[in-house]
Amino acid sequence: MQKKNLAICLLLFSFLLTTAAIAHTTLCSCYDNGDGTITCEGGFSDGSSAAGVEIRVVNKNKKVIIKGKMSEDSEFTFDKPKGSYQVELDAGPGHLVEVDGKNIFE
Amino acid sequence: MIKKKKILVALAGQPNCGKSTVFNALTGASQHVANYPGVTVEKMTGSYRDHGRKIEVVDLPGTYSLTSYSLEERVSRDFLIQENSSVVINVVDASNLKRNLYLTFQLLEMEMPLVLDLNMMDVAERRNIHIDVKELSKQLGIPVIPTAIKTGRGKKKLIKAVTAASGFGLHSGLHLEQPFKLILVDYGPMEPFLERIQVKLSKEIELDKNYPLRWLSVKLMEGDSEAQNLISKNCPEPDEILKFVEKQRDTFEAKYDEAPDRYVAFRRYQRAETIIKSCVRTTTASSTTLSDKADKLICNRYLGPLILIGIIYLLYYLSIVQGYNITNYTWPILAKIRSLTESILPNPGFIEEPLIRSLSLWFVDSINALLNYIPIFFILFALIAILEDSGYMPRMAFILDRLFQRFGLHGQSTLAMVLGGIYLGGCAVPGVMATKAIPDERSRLATILIIPLLNCLAKVPLYVLLINIYFSEHKGVAMFFIATISLLIALPAAKILTLTLLRNKETAPFIMELPPYHIPTIQGVLGRAVERVWLFIKKIITIVAVIAVLIFVLLQFPGLNLERQAHYTKEKEQEISKFYNRITETQYAEQLRGENLMALILYWDKYKNARMMATNQKLVKKLKEKFEKENPLFFKIVQPKKDKDAKKTNKAFRKLFKARKKILRELRKEKIDNSFLGRLGRDMEPFTKWAGFNWRINVSLLSAFAAKESSVATLGVLYQQEEEGENLEKRMKKGEADFTSLHALALMLFMVLYPPCIATTIMVKLQTGSFKWMFFSMIYPITLGLIAASLIFTGGKALGLNGLQAMAAFYALALLTTIATGFINNKEII
Repeated sequence: MQKKNLAICLLLFSFLLTTAAIAHTTLCSCYDNGDGTITCEGGFSDGSSAAGVEIRVVNKNKKVIIKGKMSEDSEFTFDKPKGSYQVELDAGPGHLVEVDGKNIFE
Repeated sequence: MIKKKKILVALAGQPNCGKSTVFNALTGASQHVANYPGVTVEKMTGSYRDHGRKIEVVDLPGTYSLTSYSLEERVSRDFLIQENSSVVINVVDASNLKRNLYLTFQLLEMEMPLVLDLNMMDVAERRNIHIDVKELSKQLGIPVIPTAIKTGRGKKKLIKAVTAASGFGLHSGLHLEQPFKLILVDYGPMEPFLERIQVKLSKEIELDKNYPLRWLSVKLMEGDSEAQNLISKNCPEPDEILKFVEKQRDTFEAKYDEAPDRYVAFRRYQRAETIIKSCVRTTTASSTTLSDKADKLICNRYLGPLILIGIIYLLYYLSIVQGYNITNYTWPILAKIRSLTESILPNPGFIEEPLIRSLSLWFVDSINALLNYIPIFFILFALIAILEDSGYMPRMAFILDRLFQRFGLHGQSTLAMVLGGIYLGGCAVPGVMATKAIPDERSRLATILIIPLLNCLAKVPLYVLLINIYFSEHKGVAMFFIATISLLIALPAAKILTLTLLRNKETAPFIMELPPYHIPTIQGVLGRAVERVWLFIKKIITIVAVIAVLIFVLLQFPGLNLERQAHYTKEKEQEISKFYNRITETQYAEQLRGENLMALILYWDKYKNARMMATNQKLVKKLKEKFEKENPLFFKIVQPKKDKDAKKTNKAFRKLFKARKKILRELRKEKIDNSFLGRLGRDMEPFTKWAGFNWRINVSLLSAFAAKESSVATLGVLYQQEEEGENLEKRMKKGEADFTSLHALALMLFMVLYPPCIATTIMVKLQTGSFKWMFFSMIYPITLGLIAASLIFTGGKALGLNGLQAMAAFYALALLTTIATGFINNKEII
């Protein structure tokens, strides 16, 4: 009986695990809130949240000016930098999204 | 009216003989792809008309032989035996006649009306190979039609010959005198043995009626397992016959000191040699053809592997890396489908979500996750088609086979493994799919089973997160460990599987002649890519549907009890009244009472989603106009501009919106903890504690995967937020004080080995054709993962190692195991 339970447990366990994060595309879109701040929302194409993923804002010399992590709502809000800039959501190799500041507007 | 008998024509031939071209030329656009029942081999059917008669054509898989070694061969053979085709067209490559005849002899033995299509005559002529068609026809006893189907030459004659041949034959029930008399291979000293078996078999009425007995005798003499099955199925006393056959085989082997199957092959080659001598004349002085010259380079001992690595890297780069890039452009289409679905579903409440809504969205998300692969697949299938058509595929196997054999794999496993992710970042789905080309059943299964152990791209974000927190000072080392450890586990795993579970699976001896190079046609390559992608979509959607619903139920039920529901309702009411208090002074306070508040929430949500999709100024402007027209009041709150009251309301509303998200998140988490799945996580704790996973990690792992929240987010939920704005890393360190780098390493290793994602699982089912293997492919990585994680955690703790030391120790162990297993002979243990 015990053994049978274990087997069923294992089977179910494995069955559920199989829906593991599938090949997903990293997504990030940003917009200007109109009050001097920019908000970026990120995630993965399978509907996963990007909470905890590193996000950076770099200037035109590729120098990091702001660095942070996506919030639990998978969002990141920062003060709009002066001059041209670029937002990088970096979830590791193959999971980098870059958004040019030119394409961020109200 | 006389009903005309349907004519069924089967196309048989070795790979690279231009069989598909013949098929396309005969059937034109009227083609249909299906699968042979129960297996994953594609079945191409089509038809054409000749003198008002419809002639159906089935394109059998290209096979070198008709033994039961590979799935393709078995399928072809079963079709020929069972489907009573009126005529078989054997397509052969005229420029490689000798090798192609090997299959022809076997078809002859099956005693069905056979037409030999001597294809690629143009290539043969270019190489100054002259074939005496009349003499060849005489020697084989069948009609021989020379064609160069690519240019349309000989097509009419071929159609005529098929129609002529279709009236006769063993299976047509007419048994008319044939204009041609089949000439079978003479097996010399084996003939008396075959004779004896045949006499024995002729007493079995069932067999005699359905199968050519000489063919069956030869097969039995060869020790063919499928032929033995036929006996078992059709004879009342199969054991007696099989014993008799066994005795004949033993006697032959004792007398002539040669295994019967090898002797059969030898006689066939000999016969081919004789025929070539009398029918084929080559008039070139230089005997090396262009293909041979190319092979000197491509299969060179040193240069060969280099070229191979280059080609494989290119394949990986184009399909996985560039394929992923393309998904950035195709994803919005899928996102659009989702938002369309969303718009026709009933609206959600503040914290309530209608079941039909959550189920439908869940369903769309599951399907979308799979459809997102299409660009990757399309590129991959096109490239594989190029590799196949050009003739490089068997060369690849040839170069790598010696190394891979050591681990029970096959030369052609390389491609599958590279796609699965030999270093960092691959994808198991195309990997498993690419195993299709492996002719050896045992290696094929072994490859399918180890691919999910490799590093797929989806696992990367989690590694990065854990490494940043626990190995921040040794990032490079840790990343290298993760990137390479998977292969060091996969190879011994393949070997162990080969020696144990797969021990009795059939293996094909590695006999592979290298076909001459071809230049693939664009039409052929694209056609095949489209066809395979379409097949994938069709197959996958039905299976996903079932599994998605099942998991949904496990996650949603039994749901929260009344007390907790009341708790969340109270929280909701608190937040709403907070909001009203904040805006009580403004002119909007009254207008947002009652139902209007929820309407605003939905409006806000809709605007935000639409805004995300709008990528340029023009689109945004249009969007704003549309939303303003829809509800000017709400739009003012969304875009307050200079209006002070609106600004205040906007700010308060943002807070409310955020609070709602938080309540929803907590509610969802509690629901999952409480669901069937959550309970399972608790029940698992006694087993997972050795790996350092407490029930919270279990539940998170389960829910994360099942709920498709990314693994990164899962860990975020794991460690409850204590202070507003505290980041995940801090929380993680604080929330679970005893969570050490050893825990992190165990978790990471479990992730490396964690079971395939749902798409892979489905692919495994499709490629193995069995649910049994599918379940196995899910269970064994977990077992392996738990063992490895326990080894790290419990072992590391016992030895007092930290994460980094445990990492080094484990790596050394894996490396040693890989080397050691590589030296075990596959056969010794069997």
